[in-house]
Amino acid sequence: MNASPSASEFDGAFAKKARGVELRRLGALALNGALFGLASGLVGAIALWGLGFGAERLACAALGALGALAGGVVGLRERWSDTHLALYLDARLKSDETLTTAVAARAAGDSEPALAHVLEQGNAVLRKHAVTPVGPRVFQRLHWLVPVCALGIAFVSRLPLPPRATPGKLPGIDAVKIQNLAGLERIEALAKLPGRTPEQEERLRALAEQAKKLREALAQGLERREALSELGQMRDEINAERLKLGDPQNRAGLDAAQSALGQKQALRQAQRALGNGDLTQFDEEMKRLANRAESADREAAKDALEQAERAARAKGAQGLADALRDERKLFGERESKAEALRELADAMRDKLSPEALDDLKEFGATGNPEAQRKLAEAMEKALEGLTPEERKRLAERLSKKLDDAQGGARPMTKQELESLAKKLASKDGADALRDELRDLAKQESSDDARREKGLGDADRGDSEAQRGLGVLPMPMPGDGSGAPNDAPGGKDAAKDGAGNHGSGGAGSGGPGSHHDTGTSDHAGSTPEVNGKELRAKAQAALQGGGPMHSATLGRAPARAGETANELGQGSLGSVGQAEVGAVDHADIPEEYREQVGRYFEP
Amino acid sequence: MLEPVLMVDSTHSFETRLAEAKAASGRLRQAIAQVIVGQEAVVEQVMWGLIAGGHVLLEGNPGLGKTLLVRTLSSCLDLRFSRIQFTPDLMPSDVTGTNVLVMDGSGGHGGRFELHRGPIFGQVVLADEINRATPKTQSALLEAMQEHAVTIAGTRHVLEEPFFVLATENPIEMEGTYPLPEAQLDRFLLKIAVPAPSENELTEILTRTTGAPVAAPERVVSRKEVRALQSLCREIAVAEPVLRYAARLVGQSSPDSPTSPPLVRRAVRYGAGVRGAQALVLAAKALAVLEGRAHVSFTDVQKTAAPVLRHRILRSFEGEADGVTPDQIVAELVSAVPTRPEVVERALQGN
Repeated sequence: MNASPSASEFDGAFAKKARGVELRRLGALALNGALFGLASGLVGAIALWGLGFGAERLACAALGALGALAGGVVGLRERWSDTHLALYLDARLKSDETLTTAVAARAAGDSEPALAHVLEQGNAVLRKHAVTPVGPRVFQRLHWLVPVCALGIAFVSRLPLPPRATPGKLPGIDAVKIQNLAGLERIEALAKLPGRTPEQEERLRALAEQAKKLREALAQGLERREALSELGQMRDEINAERLKLGDPQNRAGLDAAQSALGQKQALRQAQRALGNGDLTQFDEEMKRLANRAESADREAAKDALEQAERAARAKGAQGLADALRDERKLFGERESKAEALRELADAMRDKLSPEALDDLKEFGATGNPEAQRKLAEAMEKALEGLTPEERKRLAERLSKKLDDAQGGARPMTKQELESLAKKLASKDGADALRDELRDLAKQESSDDARREKGLGDADRGDSEAQRGLGVLPMPMPGDGSGAPNDAPGGKDAAKDGAGNHGSGGAGSGGPGSHHDTGTSDHAGSTPEVNGKELRAKAQAALQGGGPMHSATLGRAPARAGETANELGQGSLGSVGQAEVGAVDHADIPEEYREQVGRYFEP
Repeated sequence: MLEPVLMVDSTHSFETRLAEAKAASGRLRQAIAQVIVGQEAVVEQVMWGLIAGGHVLLEGNPGLGKTLLVRTLSSCLDLRFSRIQFTPDLMPSDVTGTNVLVMDGSGGHGGRFELHRGPIFGQVVLADEINRATPKTQSALLEAMQEHAVTIAGTRHVLEEPFFVLATENPIEMEGTYPLPEAQLDRFLLKIAVPAPSENELTEILTRTTGAPVAAPERVVSRKEVRALQSLCREIAVAEPVLRYAARLVGQSSPDSPTSPPLVRRAVRYGAGVRGAQALVLAAKALAVLEGRAHVSFTDVQKTAAPVLRHRILRSFEGEADGVTPDQIVAELVSAVPTRPEVVERALQGN
């Protein structure tokens, strides 16, 4: 196609104008790219500065060049067509789409008169604006940020690096220095406890020794985590030494022993204490029974103890059977002491104060050890005030009682009492009698009870020591939030008889217990366990698919607050022997036992 | 008095023809202005219709000079003028004409049918108050408008070119009228709204019409010149982007278009069709001719959009209830539809 002169002129002029537009557009895009690159580079440089990289920061400036290059490449790849350029030029030159129509005419190659005229008009437009620079603005308002970003990168590159952050201290590695950590003395007291076996006694000594060493180490300074680790280990060992009456090995024996004890009304409290695994309480109950004046009660208790021992042994609970055997032996000694005390008191009846006589009466009726102690003290005081004649008369009365009693009183033999009665006339005789009274007033517990009590003390001492190191593993007695004896509805609340629940604890009346004889309502809630550390948890998969061990399942629709604590009682109907006191027998940590027990008791 | 006509001679340069066309339109404008006071926009739009070869529907209240305008136009053009006053009892044959039996004069039964041509055979036809005739009679006129021919007693008669129909209708007094169906409205290239005169214009009208009668305007444009103007209009160049813009405008006047402005989607039931797009480009070309340009610009399309599209947009119930006028819809379209590609618009906005 031979182009006309006007067409050639138009092509040349339009190409020149279009080139100018394209160059300006590319320039603007390159600047946009540079701005984006430098802004990214500035952010990157700040990030590198924050991360502590030094030399790499200045390299971020290269992002500006890269951005400019990318902008240019994008501009080249997306070049405008001639139509776009013509439309742009028409809009800028206000030429009413003359150039657009001319470009379309050139593309179509038409030689129509109208198109030729349009080309002429297009040439006229281009000639008119030949020197006018037309094109997109290269520098836009945002582009002033280009030098700002570049300077920013330079500034950040010269900034001194921030000091490296020191790694944080690991928890627990701080050293603690405590001269005398409270609670450890209760573990050290384990050294004085009798063991069931020599080996156990040895282990208890070792535990006491370990506590002693820990105390010394803490006085010198020790890492907290080491101290806590040692305390945790000791606690586990202490718990391992405790007599676990509720474990699977002893459970059947315990149930059998409980059943034997439960057959006697007088032994119900002892049965419950045994069911609770509380040998100290059990021992206390036995003391009371041994102290009673009514010999039938004492005989019944001895029989029941013997039966319980046999039943436990038959069921394979040797540990429990031994404990019951020891208790039975001790029962006899306590019985003799109480009898002797009563004999002496009877002989001195006219010299005793009314209060002492009341104590004598209560001692005979309930076997209360407190009454026993008071009676012995009153008798000692009365003995000091006796004249020689009175002492002589007392000796005669004692001899007469000995004749009546046919020498059944122990621990003193008949000869010893006769000798004492002969000597009573002298001062030495009176002193011997005083010593004897002191001996009779002594409240010795059984070895098992002492050991269990000591181990419990040691356990609580361990917890107290942990708390002293900044950890609150378990709720402790006397912490104001529901300690066992001070808890709402606890034993102390039962004593005042006015239903003043929770006088020692912070709670407001718990669910109550069988000890509670007060008149207040039992509204309240189980206090929250105040512990940061989990030491025990329910394991649901004990017997996959089978009923829970010793649980009263499927008996009747459960009713809150009612459980089978006694054979044939409760709303759950008649329960199996193994199910009595199921909750009490469960292997629940001591810290929870009181709470759980209270929750389930009616 | 008619000037010498050169435009018909296609050997003249395009530039010359454009200049002559501009001069002829100027003469016509001037001649009409001697009679019609104001209404420049209406006169301009009527000239678009004349040059584009389309028909025009004038809508306005009674007494605004619609009929006078058409009569004046016909007086200025060297074209045969006829007028049809549409009434409900007007028959199609009253419009088209009919065969009449003419006796041979011998006194016997011999005779022949002779065609008596109706007013449709004029070149500038004024269809006054077109909406007062029955649809049957309306359709007789509309068929002639579309085909530029009428069929009478089985014989097709081609109408003489140029054939230019100007219909008027009154937007009030709608009782006893037969509104034109949309399909028939579409046959009109333009629908021109005739506004009320301003105070100054009214004063001038009073001066002219209450004094001595003024002389009838001279014929200033010949039939050949009208034909040359119409021919020139068809030669006007339109660039592809401008055609695209016209197509976008028309396309987005339909609520079905995904890119339609919200007002169109809400207030329009049917938009303009292909005939509307053709009319838009033709009217824009006519405008370019009147402005002495050999090509159409975006502005031409935008200026002609309202008279071309306003009778082709059928409003929805919601649009009618909200009082949205077709002119508002067209204005929304013109402002919403971009003329140039997005990249170009963006670059222009950056300047």
